[in-house]
Amino acid sequence: MYIDFERLLKVCRLSLRNDEKEKMEKEINEIIKYFDVLDSIEIKEAKEHQTSNVEVLRKDEVRPFDDIDGLLKNTKTYRFSVVGPKV
Amino acid sequence: MKIGLEAHVSLPTKSKLFCSCSTIASEPNSAVCPICMGFPGAKPMLNEEALKIAVSIANALNCKVNEMVSFVRKVYFYPDLPKSYQITQLYEPIGINGYVECCNGNIGIRRVQLEEDAAKIIRGDDYTLLDFNRAGIPLVEIVTDPDIKSEEELRTFLTELRSILYYLGIDIEGELKTDLNISLAESRVEVKNITGIRNLIDATRYEIQRQEKLIKSRVKVVQETRSYIEAKRETIATREKETEEEYGFIPEPDLTSYGTTHMARIKPIYASKIAEEYAKAYNVDKKLIAELILFDRHALELIDATKDRYEMKFILNGIELVKKYKKRDIKVGAFEKLVELIKEGSYIDEETVSKIEKGESIGAKNLNLETIRKEVNGLLTPSIIADYKKNPKAINFIIGRIAAKYKVSPKEVAEIVKKELSGQYGD
Amino acid sequence: MSSIEEFASMEKGREYYQKLVEELERLNERVHAFNNINHGISSGFPFSAKDNLCVKGVETTASSKVLSGYMPPYNATVIKRLFSKGFSFLGKTNMDEFGFGSFGINAPEIARNPFDERYVAGGSSSGAAVATSILKYHVAIAESTGGSIATPASFCGVVGFTPTYGTVSRYGLIDYSNSMDKIGVMARVAKDIKPIFDLIRGADGYDSTTTNSPITSINKKRLIVIDQLIGLVDQRIRSLFEKLLDKLNSMGYSIEHRSLDMIDASIASYYIIAMAEASTNLARYTGFKYGLKVENFEKGYNEFFTDARSAFGEEAKRRILLGTFVRSANVRDKYYFKALKVKDLLFNKLNEILKEGFIIMPVMPIPTPRIDDARKLTPLQVYKMDALTIPPNLCGFPHISFPYGYDNGLPVGAQVITSKFNDYSIINFVEEWEENFEYKFKYNIGEVR
Repeated sequence: MYIDFERLLKVCRLSLRNDEKEKMEKEINEIIKYFDVLDSIEIKEAKEHQTSNVEVLRKDEVRPFDDIDGLLKNTKTYRFSVVGPKV
Repeated sequence: MKIGLEAHVSLPTKSKLFCSCSTIASEPNSAVCPICMGFPGAKPMLNEEALKIAVSIANALNCKVNEMVSFVRKVYFYPDLPKSYQITQLYEPIGINGYVECCNGNIGIRRVQLEEDAAKIIRGDDYTLLDFNRAGIPLVEIVTDPDIKSEEELRTFLTELRSILYYLGIDIEGELKTDLNISLAESRVEVKNITGIRNLIDATRYEIQRQEKLIKSRVKVVQETRSYIEAKRETIATREKETEEEYGFIPEPDLTSYGTTHMARIKPIYASKIAEEYAKAYNVDKKLIAELILFDRHALELIDATKDRYEMKFILNGIELVKKYKKRDIKVGAFEKLVELIKEGSYIDEETVSKIEKGESIGAKNLNLETIRKEVNGLLTPSIIADYKKNPKAINFIIGRIAAKYKVSPKEVAEIVKKELSGQYGD
Repeated sequence: MSSIEEFASMEKGREYYQKLVEELERLNERVHAFNNINHGISSGFPFSAKDNLCVKGVETTASSKVLSGYMPPYNATVIKRLFSKGFSFLGKTNMDEFGFGSFGINAPEIARNPFDERYVAGGSSSGAAVATSILKYHVAIAESTGGSIATPASFCGVVGFTPTYGTVSRYGLIDYSNSMDKIGVMARVAKDIKPIFDLIRGADGYDSTTTNSPITSINKKRLIVIDQLIGLVDQRIRSLFEKLLDKLNSMGYSIEHRSLDMIDASIASYYIIAMAEASTNLARYTGFKYGLKVENFEKGYNEFFTDARSAFGEEAKRRILLGTFVRSANVRDKYYFKALKVKDLLFNKLNEILKEGFIIMPVMPIPTPRIDDARKLTPLQVYKMDALTIPPNLCGFPHISFPYGYDNGLPVGAQVITSKFNDYSIINFVEEWEENFEYKFKYNIGEVR
């Protein structure tokens, strides 16, 4: 299985030094090869397992969060807006 | 020509799609919580009402509503996306394979799905300001087949869609956010993120002209993504995206599947169809009825309540007056009185309608004598007065007319007229 | 008597807690169980929380640099429930970054095995196990995705209980793999587990995967050994384990053998699902909303994000890459969806076996490794170490790890697994075990002599 490692890094927004890259790419290829063991398992049914079968719905009611200040303290704000990187 | 739309409609719920924050807020970041801001540890909780409205929309658009619906994570990186993934639908959306009847055929509705909105972004020079009040607001995405074949059909379709959604309780006038797909030749051009209906129509018109020009000059139309610039009323090619995106969809593991068969649906109302029906049945102008009822539920209710007892043309006249004088809360009983007045040919002005709506009688006691006096004076021209002096009966026609118009007894009018005559002209 | 009950009957004023914190700080400098000890604790029975559990106003980092400085503005549901019943917060315990690890070595501060500090404490709930081992009156709230409660509990000689998936709310748990994360309890005796489990479990509106299914305690007095899994275990551990089976047999349990031939597929399935979900859970760490913040906003957002995400540890990066790969469009069916099918297959097979009795086996296939030796393992070698804990964790079956021996002075643990919602039965089983076996502890901080 050929993996476009450079593209994968970009998609994940991750960067590695060149020496790290080589090691990581090798390890990932080895692990993917291990994952290919799944090909040897034959599944007859198509149904996938659902871990949770109980359906839960929330009533449409407003309940404001009780510590918005605490929430925003984690960010950098400018006049109540959250500051983020340029687009 | 093939035109298709991916339209996003905000739902009128009180709370957001996955948390209990209000959908209405003024100050930035005042209706937020760990869930809609994507804080670590927070998890989504599906809003029952949003699901119900989404199911109703799919139903109203004649979709096959999936018995079980489920959600996925769509991963991409942008500052306005709090979790760096959007919870949306893919494998089991709310509805598929529907249609809207209009435009000499049907416009196919490929998919109706429920998803969350992103934050609001304000671009700065060297930074971005974000308001997460909008993050997590429920959206329904409506994807059409590329069945729309002209700007005219687009207008008709949008009017029809807007009316269907209006009758489900959703107003899309300014809110609609659409991606437009349009191809005249082989290449498909996508114009992304058009806000509102007017801009959508303008963008379509511009694109059609642009592509037509290119085709005429034998220049290939490039398959690309464009943006609509409202200020210039033009579309422009957008810069190539710097990095590739891999949405990497997986089923949302914090939510289960949800059954829809037992859900109560809001009954759809196809006002344009009703207009057509009534136009035929009552021999009135289809366009007139449509204009009155497409975006006015109350008008439709009034028509339905009275159509078996009064002539449609009088009823429609009544509706026009109600709209003109903005008496939108008028009850059926009062409206009937208005229709009766119209039928009798009585004079009706704003005051009349106002009184009828309030349930006040418009009998002689409440008459504005000033109004009558003014009218009497208007009618008492020198020649009439001259006639009157020769023959007292000459003013009878005035009395009769005014009596009928204001629903006053002729005797009372006669007195008023006589007073005017003696007061003004001596006798 | 549970230590909770014992503690309640003791006289303890503020000096008790002061002394407790002092002694704990001192030992902690060597064993690194805690990254944060609450000096303000002054009453109530102490509990510690793994650092991926949000405690309001307390820095919560999941052992990751990307979350340094994150102050949750809310308490995780389990924390809220503990506070409501008067339990007191003692501190945050160290862990592998985001839960990625089986030895506790993927951390800024590596927790040490209290029995011999050159050895690993196990992971990913490493600090929780160490804390439970060194403190006399304490319970640890920990978390398991692929074995992160059983493994450190086994290496540190304490009881580690992982409940049925869905019985305990994950609201406020920093996500690793949403379909497999389970909050559980570590304690020195099984008697302390049940009251805590009952307190923290139960449906929670904030977590749509929770359920109020009733918990049962069915015990068929039958222990089932899966031959292929035992076959993976190191000889020394295996002979110890055989002796355990003999002892349990004499306690009235029949021992049976079964075959299950999908070990590698189970490991692959677990890691594919876990990494796929983890890669989406970690996408939100972009350096401006919480935790580590990048200063220069004027870089384009992609560069900004990539900058912020360079703070992830190596294992985290590896799992993000792998997880993103297995859910990419062209291979999603081959890896991600196939893994879900394999999970389903394993669930059905194990469920059949569990109808007959408990499954019993060692927790780790090797004796406790030294920290230096653990570091030498390749990533794939580490993943394969989870062969014994993955089956119950992948499927969401409740399981409990308990000490049953000491090998060169280091504790060795075994685990029993039962059907979903039969959680009480295995807690009772360990209680029964404890009537016949006394655990050894090297430290007893908080003990009143």
